[in-house]
Amino acid sequence: MAELIKVIINGQDFQVEKGARLIDACRENGYSIASFCYYADLALQASCRMCLVRIEKMPKLQTSCTITCTDGMVVTTESEEIEKARRGMVEFLLANHPLDCPVCDRGGECELQEMVFDWGDLEERFTERKNYAPEKFLSPVVANDSQRCILCKRCTRVCDEWMGEDAIEAGGRGAHTVIGTYGGWLNCSQCGNCIEVCPTGTLLDATYRHQTRPWELSRTTSTCSFCSDGCQLSVGSRRGEVMRVVARDRYVNGHNGEFLCIKGRFAHPFVNHEERLRTPLVRYKKGGRLVPTTWEEAVRFAAQKLQEVKDAHGGSAIGVVGSPRLTNESNWALLRFARDVLGTDKYTASEAFSLAPFFENLSAPLATHKDIRHAKTIVLIGGEPEELQPLTGKQVRQAVRNGGAKLVIFNSVPIRLKEQAAQFVHIRPGSEDAVVLALASPGDAEVAASKLGVEADEIGKASQIISETAGDVVLMFGGELSAEAQSVVAQLPAAFGEKEGRRFLLHPLPLFNNSVGVHDLGLMNGALNPLEILDAAGSEVRALYVAGGFLPAHLEGREGALSRLDFLAVQELFLTETAEAADVIFPAASFAETDGTFTNSDGLVQRVRQSIPPVHQSKPDWAITSQLASALGTDLGFQMSSSNIFLDIAHGVPAYEGLRYPLLKDESKPVQVKHALAGRRDVTAQLAELRRALESLDENAEKITETPPVGHELFKLGVLTSKVPQFHLLAAGNPEPESVLVSPLYQITLDPGLRREAAAGD
Amino acid sequence: MSIITEVIENTRAIIKGMMTTVSYIPREKWTVQYPDEPVTLQPRFRGQHLLHVDELGREKCVACYLCAAACPSDCIYIVAADDPRPAEERTGVDERYAKVYNIDYGRCIFCGFCVEACPKDAITHGYNFELSVYSRADLLKTKDDLLITKQKQSPNYRVAFSDEDVDSEYKEV
Repeated sequence: MAELIKVIINGQDFQVEKGARLIDACRENGYSIASFCYYADLALQASCRMCLVRIEKMPKLQTSCTITCTDGMVVTTESEEIEKARRGMVEFLLANHPLDCPVCDRGGECELQEMVFDWGDLEERFTERKNYAPEKFLSPVVANDSQRCILCKRCTRVCDEWMGEDAIEAGGRGAHTVIGTYGGWLNCSQCGNCIEVCPTGTLLDATYRHQTRPWELSRTTSTCSFCSDGCQLSVGSRRGEVMRVVARDRYVNGHNGEFLCIKGRFAHPFVNHEERLRTPLVRYKKGGRLVPTTWEEAVRFAAQKLQEVKDAHGGSAIGVVGSPRLTNESNWALLRFARDVLGTDKYTASEAFSLAPFFENLSAPLATHKDIRHAKTIVLIGGEPEELQPLTGKQVRQAVRNGGAKLVIFNSVPIRLKEQAAQFVHIRPGSEDAVVLALASPGDAEVAASKLGVEADEIGKASQIISETAGDVVLMFGGELSAEAQSVVAQLPAAFGEKEGRRFLLHPLPLFNNSVGVHDLGLMNGALNPLEILDAAGSEVRALYVAGGFLPAHLEGREGALSRLDFLAVQELFLTETAEAADVIFPAASFAETDGTFTNSDGLVQRVRQSIPPVHQSKPDWAITSQLASALGTDLGFQMSSSNIFLDIAHGVPAYEGLRYPLLKDESKPVQVKHALAGRRDVTAQLAELRRALESLDENAEKITETPPVGHELFKLGVLTSKVPQFHLLAAGNPEPESVLVSPLYQITLDPGLRREAAAGD
Repeated sequence: MSIITEVIENTRAIIKGMMTTVSYIPREKWTVQYPDEPVTLQPRFRGQHLLHVDELGREKCVACYLCAAACPSDCIYIVAADDPRPAEERTGVDERYAKVYNIDYGRCIFCGFCVEACPKDAITHGYNFELSVYSRADLLKTKDDLLITKQKQSPNYRVAFSDEDVDSEYKEV
């Protein structure tokens, strides 16, 4: 508990924490103070002058957003003088504001509108001409109307401090200052956080432009379905159509604050895309056509075929593949289906890499994103969070910039985050395992260093930073690590030993929204992994039941695998590569149409809520599985309710014990699952394996010296992101259109040659 | 009383009544002979809505949804859209226009809140009161029915001049 000091606000005594900002102290104690430019956790600006207060013994009115409370401070927040000052400020803010609220997309949730209601005058006294500037586009996803700007500079601060990109800046002087970009076109990661924090209609979402009004939307708090950060967002829908996704404070208060990345914010149009599967499809004969049919017929046919395979080859000839994209409930239903209905151990999830060895040897708690923000040392081995887990990237950047943390990066690629690093160890490609070995056993550090292509003392220096830390140490690792290396990383805290005041936290960087969830449920502990299942297709595995598709990386080089199966049932949103080979396709519901939970990389279980009814004839994945189970003669007992399945999970999975939907109701207080912590384990076998692998490393391999371009992973076209036209423009290198006055979508024809090939899943 | 007296009494009563009726026939009539004669409406009469256009024929509505928000009976449905064409070719006066603008006259209570809410003077109450239809679905009027350029003047009414006294209810007859 911090020290308390006394502050007198409007004649009343209050105890506030020492070092608290005056504006926060006033607001917490019930005195509302108007402000535009103040934004917690960003650098101070004090340009809007709305938060003026009178402080005794100070000569003029003071901006409360820049004043730190001191003991015995006497503050007046409401008086005639202050009201006059605020009214004057609003008048000045409106001097150049066009007041075109009827066409402005921010109308209805505009902070300036609200402020003018409170502090504005009915009449405008200025008769001078207002600065005129046409509305324009800064990128395919950001629209800009510079005359609406009140120069609070929240956007420039967010761009700099959160994203580290400095893509948007204020230019010009005095009344002619405008927010703009370098060269007039935004070449950044297109996160859209500048849009989110803008208190006026200056920066607007170009995908939601002129679509509807905020009060027309029904808002549902949900969880993002792209990366493993699990950002909380508010889905705005109207008449069964998802119109937009925001994370604005007034609607949702998740662990991500107002942060979202391009995928979370702009990639939602896949939900109502016209290519969504409309009805169940059945291929009655191998090599035949897919025929649209009814649910009853499709389920009957699938059940009959699965029964035939089961009778002929036994239940273990049927494989069940879940997906780290689906909810815990859907994956649990699949697992129950595999175990209880088919009696097979050939279940898995179409995951890029398994975290099983990591969780098995887990010796320290998982770091939440809040922990990362306040960590003192962050070690990143492999991975590229600013592209693959943008919120983690932002938290790391803020921990360094605003929290003074030390960042140590081991990476074969000079990723953008290295700008923030205290130490960047540039290793040879594919040698991430050697880093783990060198950190875990200092005796091997010298040999490893020569293989890594770094100076011998660099690893020593990194180890020293970790050992000397007073506070939290967060160890992060990407998907490059082998299973052995994962086990060793999970045991690294033990290798460094106990120290007073130091706490180790681990943070995996998986790729998908429910990667940790599929692991927790045990879906990854099946007999075969996705690649082995595909390899066994046609021999050990005669039939497959797949929810979601295989990743393109899985199918590469195994194109014929799916056609070797006797029977393939797929539940999908779109006709993907996996679905095209299927004998039965069930149209599944997307994240916006189902209830459920995702478990993010912090181990936080967060709710996904249904915001629109399932489009066309689609059904939630767990409902399809349950229906199929009934057709095969087993009732899984879900009673068509996702909360029932979650109850079943809570009973069946030790880490989820005691969790219920009502406990997950408040998104501002997320619940972390209780992963079992292993004590100190003997990892000599794994270390020996790592040493063996070290031998085979090429000492003369070329290092990658080029920093990858912004968005090389974010803009990649996957199954979902390719349904958003803006992503095609971005993936094609974000070309600047002829005129910035018209949306680039109307100007640039999307020619297929321009579309970059989608290599891996999105 | 004999039956003869009764017949005489009743006949006298009928003649008395009929005399009043007949005496009114030559007098001036103040019932409007609708639809043979056009009705004269007050200038501020609230009839079917009109969606206005500017001098170039572009719709004034910018689909700000304020009318729909003000509507107490929730009868206005709008779908806004983006019109990227140059100003002269646009449907509306601004880039933002109403792709769909429906008013459900089965719900409308002709309160005039929408007109009051409109920041662009794009919607006003017209004078058309002949809204009866054979099917309930026809009560839903779309932009094609509401645009001032598409509505036809009915011969059955005229609008009074502002200084014209048409309030016959209070006239001496």
